[in-house]
Amino acid sequence: MRLFVLLFNAFIGATFFAMPNLTRPGLLFAVPVPAGFREGPDGRRAIRVFRLIVGPVVLVAMCVSLLAPLNAVGLIMVGAPYGVMLAAGIAFYVQYRRLSPFAVHTAPVRCAELGTAPDRMPWFAWLGTAPFATLLAAAWYLHLNWASIPARFPVHWGADGLPNRWVERSVKGVYGPLVFGAEICAWFSVFALAGWHGSRRSRLRGVLLVAMVSAACFMGVLFGGIALIPLLKTPPWVIVFLPMVILIPGTIVLVRKFMEPGEPMEATPNECWKAGTFYCNPDDPALLVQKRLGLGYTLNFANPWSWILLSGLVLIMASGFLVLP
Amino acid sequence: MPDSPRIEIDPQSSVPVFRQISDRIRILLVEGRLAPGTALPSVRRLAMELGVHFNTVAEAYRQLATEGWLELKHGRTAVVINRSVAEVTNRDWSEGFRMRVRALVAQIRSEGVSAKALAEELHSLAGEVTRP
Repeated sequence: MRLFVLLFNAFIGATFFAMPNLTRPGLLFAVPVPAGFREGPDGRRAIRVFRLIVGPVVLVAMCVSLLAPLNAVGLIMVGAPYGVMLAAGIAFYVQYRRLSPFAVHTAPVRCAELGTAPDRMPWFAWLGTAPFATLLAAAWYLHLNWASIPARFPVHWGADGLPNRWVERSVKGVYGPLVFGAEICAWFSVFALAGWHGSRRSRLRGVLLVAMVSAACFMGVLFGGIALIPLLKTPPWVIVFLPMVILIPGTIVLVRKFMEPGEPMEATPNECWKAGTFYCNPDDPALLVQKRLGLGYTLNFANPWSWILLSGLVLIMASGFLVLP
Repeated sequence: MPDSPRIEIDPQSSVPVFRQISDRIRILLVEGRLAPGTALPSVRRLAMELGVHFNTVAEAYRQLATEGWLELKHGRTAVVINRSVAEVTNRDWSEGFRMRVRALVAQIRSEGVSAKALAEELHSLAGEVTRP
């Protein structure tokens, strides 16, 4: 467990340390900067100061993960990433404010095609049905083997790897994770559709669709696997490590796709970005726009559908209290 | 399949965005690059691609529909129609036109463009405008 926490914190730390580079070319700390600015004295200084703040915090988090007593490992696993995130957030905001005067207008001229070719989704969008099929298959397998499910089985494990919460064999206890997984997959599917139809045409829109479909598939496999634990006696470390094995390479592939050159930066007015992170433009009909902090897409918070999407996610999380054992 | 015609707008320009859109589309209509029967993107899609409000695109489409270039369907989609305008033979039209061109020429000249280059450009443009 300690090794897992150490690796997890190392991954989080490395990600935040590399934050100034994990962005579209032409952006530095969410500020659109002129070509060559990053390599100039102001750009280099901003990156150096950011890393001087984040680096020591990451090192402290790693040392604490390594030296803390075993009964505090769970607390460190939750607390250390938040500590790194807080330090990175503060360092980012300071640099964002410092670089804002250097901001340039992104693509002052906007273009649009007047064609009416149908806006069909790529073939791989059909893979969005796979997680639901996985969850249904798991439910069917559990139904067929109901008698083999133990009358009482563990559903929660402590940092020491030992179970600390048990439930009786019941409809809620057995099928609850599948219902919750289906809700999450449905949310990702809706988000994928919203991303496709609610953002501007670009190559990155396809990458977003891949990311959302992959996330839904991952959730389907994860919750299907969790539901089968009582029947297959899967060790809990598999449920902890397997997601990392899939998530880390998947994230690296997506990051590389988002960083590929050739796609011009999306034209969003600088004044509509709050702290370089939140986009709020009531005149822009787009629901999702390309992020300035990090890679990927973010919601246009002036669009009411953004709040409906977020409310849906909050409701799904809250429903966990009802459907999960 | 040939590429679809494109339009460009500059949100920083002093010309209102709805006018920029209608002006750019009108150029394509006059040049015959948008033939009768061609459907234009929906108001929603064009507004999304240009990052402007729906009403801005709807206003540009309405302007072109008023001029007889487009037929609006359900207020959301627009199709190019055959526009028949009788040729003006008297010279009454030329007064307003002349004033507009002179204002434009003065503006371009004040930006440092030579009279010769401007005359050549106008001559070239006149040749391109083939459709009534």
